[in-house]
Parts: sequence; C-alpha cells; structure tokens
Amino acid sequence: MNGPSALVLNAVRVWYGRRLAVDGLTLTVRAGEIVGLLGPNGSGKSSTLGVAAGVLDPAGGSVSVNGVRRDRDPRAFARLVGLVPQEPAVYDELTAEANLRFVGRLYGLGGDDLRVRVDRGLRFAKLCDRRGQRAGTLSGGLKQRLNLACALLHDPAVLLLDEPTAALDPASRDGLFAELHQLKEKGVAILLTTHHLDEAEHGCDRVAVLRDGVLTACGTPSDLAQTSVCGRAVLYAHLRERLPKFFRVSLRRRIGRDVVVEITGRRLRLSAPTQQRLGEALAVVMADGVTLDAFRSTEGRLDHLLRGVPAAETSAEAVPASGGR
Amino acid sequence: MTHLPLILTLAAKDLRLFLADRRAAVLCVAVPILLASGFGLVFGRSPAATGGAPTLPLLLVTDGAGRFAEAVAADLLAGPRVQAEVVTLEVAERRVADRRPGVAVVFPDGFEAVGRWLPGRTGDRPAVRVLHHPLSASEGQWAEGLVTEAVMKRLARGPLAALGDASLPFAVRTEPHSTGDCRFNAYTHSFSGMTLQYLLFWGMESGLLLLRDRNRSIWGRLMSAPVPLWAVLAGKALSTATIAFGLVLATFGFGYLAFGVTVGGSWVGFLLLAAAASCLAASTGLLVAAVGGTEARARSVAILVILTVSLFGGLWLPAFVLPGWARDAALCLPTTWAMRGLDGVTWQGRGLLSALPGVGVVAAFAAVFLGVATARLMTSEARRRRGIA
Repeated sequence: MNGPSALVLNAVRVWYGRRLAVDGLTLTVRAGEIVGLLGPNGSGKSSTLGVAAGVLDPAGGSVSVNGVRRDRDPRAFARLVGLVPQEPAVYDELTAEANLRFVGRLYGLGGDDLRVRVDRGLRFAKLCDRRGQRAGTLSGGLKQRLNLACALLHDPAVLLLDEPTAALDPASRDGLFAELHQLKEKGVAILLTTHHLDEAEHGCDRVAVLRDGVLTACGTPSDLAQTSVCGRAVLYAHLRERLPKFFRVSLRRRIGRDVVVEITGRRLRLSAPTQQRLGEALAVVMADGVTLDAFRSTEGRLDHLLRGVPAAETSAEAVPASGGR
Repeated sequence: MTHLPLILTLAAKDLRLFLADRRAAVLCVAVPILLASGFGLVFGRSPAATGGAPTLPLLLVTDGAGRFAEAVAADLLAGPRVQAEVVTLEVAERRVADRRPGVAVVFPDGFEAVGRWLPGRTGDRPAVRVLHHPLSASEGQWAEGLVTEAVMKRLARGPLAALGDASLPFAVRTEPHSTGDCRFNAYTHSFSGMTLQYLLFWGMESGLLLLRDRNRSIWGRLMSAPVPLWAVLAGKALSTATIAFGLVLATFGFGYLAFGVTVGGSWVGFLLLAAAASCLAASTGLLVAAVGGTEARARSVAILVILTVSLFGGLWLPAFVLPGWARDAALCLPTTWAMRGLDGVTWQGRGLLSALPGVGVVAAFAAVFLGVATARLMTSEARRRRGIA
C-alpha cells in the first residue's frame, strides 16, 4: 500500500445530463492497492470509473495514470488502463481465444507477443481447454473471468472494475477477489465499484464512499470502523434457497424491531445494535431451518456511511488516508 | 495509414461475427436470390421468357354474330398470337370484370354482312365491342388490332380475292434490340434491382448492429482502448461493404447458373458499380446509426426510405412504368443511377464509359452519406462522453 501513485483523480467533476454526477472528486490509487468505491445507486461510482477509464470526459479536473495525463496523451493513457465493465464485454459469437486476440490487437499487440499473452489470458481465465468455445456458451463465472482476462491482456498499470461480482455466486466472488489480490501483489492498482459492504470491507485495502457525487469518506476499513459514530453489528449471509414472502415477514416479526432484516434474492443482511443481539437474531434464522452458504459479520461502520449518515458527521476525521477530501 | 491494421482488425471481427451464425449468413445470401427469382418469374413475360412471341389471353363472343364471325374466331383460335376462348356474353362480362383475362371481343348481330364487304361500299357498319378491364386498356388495343388483322385476312381470301392479290404489301419482323450482342433476359433486371435493394437492407441491418453495440458494455471496452472512434466507424464500413460486395457476386453468380443472367457489357463497369453500391450500403448503414435515434425508430424510418427509393429507382419494375414526374424526380436518387448502370452493363451490353456516370453518382452519394454519418456519430459520441446525451 506504500507504492507510488498510479491512478490520480484530481478535483474531477462529471455532469450527467443536468445532474452533477461527480463533484470535485480527488482520489489516488497506489500501485499494489485495491480501492473499493462504495455508494448507493446514483452516487457517482460508475461515472467515476468511466472518467478513470477514458469513457467519459470530465467537465473539470484531471485524470492521470503513472504521470500520463488523459487529456494530454489519450492513447498512451488508454494503454495503461484496463476496464472490466459490469456486463462481460465480450462477443458471445466469438470464441474465448478470438475475443482475447481481438482485444490484444486493439492495443497494438501482434505476432508471438500476442500469442503468448493470449495463452496466458486463457490460463488466467481457466479456459485453456475451452479456447475454441464460443463466449456465449460459457457460464457466468467463466465469462466474467474472460472479461477480466481481456482487460489484463495488455498488462495495464491500473485495473478498473465496475461491480465485478454482480452476477457471481459466493464461490466465484471469492475466487475473483483472490485473483485481484494476486494482481495487487504484482503491483497493479485496482479500483472497483461495489454496493456490497462486505466486499468493500474484506476485499479492499481502502474504501472510498461516495454519496451524491461527493466523496464522504476514504480510508482503510478498520480506520473507518474506529471512527464509528453509531456502530452496529452487521451480518451478511448467502442463503442456499430463496425464502418465501410469508416466511420473511414472519422472520422479521420474531426477530424483533431493533434488528433490521434485509433479504434481497438470496442475500441476507442483519443489522443489530450489539453483537449479542446479532447472535440472537442469527439463532432465530437458523432455528427455522434456513441454511446459510456463507456469512460474514462486521462492526458496520461502512454500513452507516453508506446508508445515510450525513456527510457533516463524517467529515475531516473520517478521511484519514491520503487522497481523501 | 498507421491505423490501417486497427481498421482491418475491426473489420475482420465484424466478418467473423457475420460468419459465426452460419444459418443467418446463408439466409443473408438466399433472400436477395429468392426475391430476384420471384420477381423475375412473376414479371418476366418477355419473348425469351415465354419461349416465343408474346400471346394475348382473349375471350371471344360470337353468339348470333353469324358464320363470318365464327370463321374469324376460328382463325384467331388457330393463330399463335392469342390464347383465345369462345364464351357467352354473360361469361365474358363476368370474367373480364375479374380480369381473367382482361379483354374480350364481342361480335355483334349483323356481323355476317362484313363478310360481303367490298371497297367503296357504304351503309351501316356493325360495331365490334372490345370489353376490357380498367387495368387492361393496352390489351384492349392489342385485341382490336388482332381482330382487324384477322378480319382483313379473311376478306382478302374471300370477296377481295376477286380484285387480285389482297395480301399485305409488306412484312413485319419483330426483334429485341440492345446495344451489344447480348439477348434480353427478363431475370437480369430483377436480379439487379433486388440485389441493390437488399444491399440497402443489409446496410440498414449493419447500422442497427452498431446502434445496439453502442448500448452494450463492449462499446465501453472499445472506447477505453487506444482506438479512435473514426477507426471504429471505418472498420464497420469496410466490413459492411465487403459483405455487400460478396452478396452481389453470390447473387449474380446464382443468377448466371440458374437463369442465365450475364454481364453482356463491361465487366469492369459491372465490378465498379458493384463496389460503389457496396460502399453506398455501408454508408447508408452508418447514416441509419447516426440519425436513427433508437433502434426501433431507425428500423421503421429506414425501411420506409429504402422501399421508397427502391420503387422510384426502378428496382422493382423498370422505371418506364412510372409516370414522367416520378422518373424526373428519381434522377436525384442513387438507386436510379445504380440501376441504370447495371441495366447498361448487363442486358443492354454497354461498355465501361456508359457505366461511369452511374459509378460516379453512386460513389458521390456514398461519400456524402459517409461524411454526414461520421460527423454526426462523432458529435453524438462526444456529447455522450461529456454526459450530455
């Protein structure tokens, strides 16, 4: 985390229609660091990523990678950045190998160099034995790996991922983060957006929280947790099966009003005033025969940053790490 | 030129995508062939297509008209130029109203007197009625001529024979005429027209694909790569034009094998016209993507425009069937010039020089479309990058 600055966003402003989607964002991602961009829908995460990737033009401020400013040398800048869009950016009709070759050629690669990199990309995506298989026939997880391999083919200094785990099951998600950490060890600077708090807390070295286009907090997850204003114990779990609506209503009633129960698809989130109450709530869930595939608990500081603590309450001291506002 | 490999990469990708769905690719080639074959079959009633002189379907009504009328009808029935049938007046009226066929000749009472006619004789002349469907006026005139000829020939063999040889003092020889040595083939026009029309539809489809790509995540990857937008558009245009050119060759190749469609004039002119039309298809596609707005809107407007320029450009039926004002107005359409050029180098057997005006006009239209589309797409993308669009 002490590497040199790789991606530098300086006072970036982005308009989206008549709305200021990103307002004066200053953020630095160092080489060998994973930064999670956290925020509710419409907070400006994707716009920030779009500016960093060169897909959106900032109305103000500057973006640079390894000292190369985007507005001064866009082609050199583009060679330093790898973008992993949320939906796999591959051609379903082409094979995995053809997709990689195509992307490689876009970056000016060719000959033996391209062949070596394509082989490496196929190994990375665990697609060596499926190199001739059309991307459209791959599973969601493999397709996402191919998506990532395409972005890494030209060895970018900065990797940008837009909600990379949105369509992945827990095992694939863990696998993805394991690979991101390997890339981090190789010195790649990684900026990813997510609205899953547990990913940000456990998978990222630093977390930047955006609300209404404004950076409200930035720091390591533990730093942010220590500055808790009204910390709650939070548990995230992945249910083996979807719960019927009547069961969810009944569960909320039996657990009690002081524990917030949120169930989205097969994701379960419990937020309790204390660890003890969290344990009790979990016991109620388990007693009803609900099977959890995986769960994580947290003190929940980020949860509050994300879910509406006014920016004024988290100013100054909530931004201890460099690059914050 | 430094971007040429990039453009070729983008075009090759589009070609791979086109060939990836083999059934769709085969259909893409088959549709213009089927359309051209169908149009040729339905509208190709030429001497060559019917294996000889054209014949007129005709109904004859001789009830009460006498033996001379029956003799004339027998001559018509025996002749090679009509497909005649003798019916009652009631049947004739019903069938003509239904255009099955479009014309009937009704010999009147008292027509027997015509059989005794001599030059200089005066008196009442019986009126032969020619009934025709409102859409069959020309067949009506054709029938009038045939009946007159049959009557005069019979008179020449009857009462006029006494005056000496009353046969026609001249011979008539009909033959198709074109500039070169080639013979007219009714399928040639339909293959040229339907191929040109389908090229425009292919261009539209390519433009819609571009519109779709712009809303997919793959566009983000393209725009984040060191690839200028104009190179992406050039790659798209190149792949669309290449496939369009292949379609022309495949369609005419089938036309040659199945129906004897040939390039009777300049091959160079034909290839230049095919290349220009392919470029027109590609630039039309980009124009659709540039001005179409949403995909659904673009498709509807493009179909309307393509069908209109096809009709007025003479792609469905030869332009001479259009009214004069439409033919004059159609001179401002690229399809008119492309069709003229193709007709010239195929069944009219003309040389390269005759094709050049068509090539020039079509290429100029393609260049203008390409310029407008590129400018518009670059502006629209710039606005999108600034978050305005």
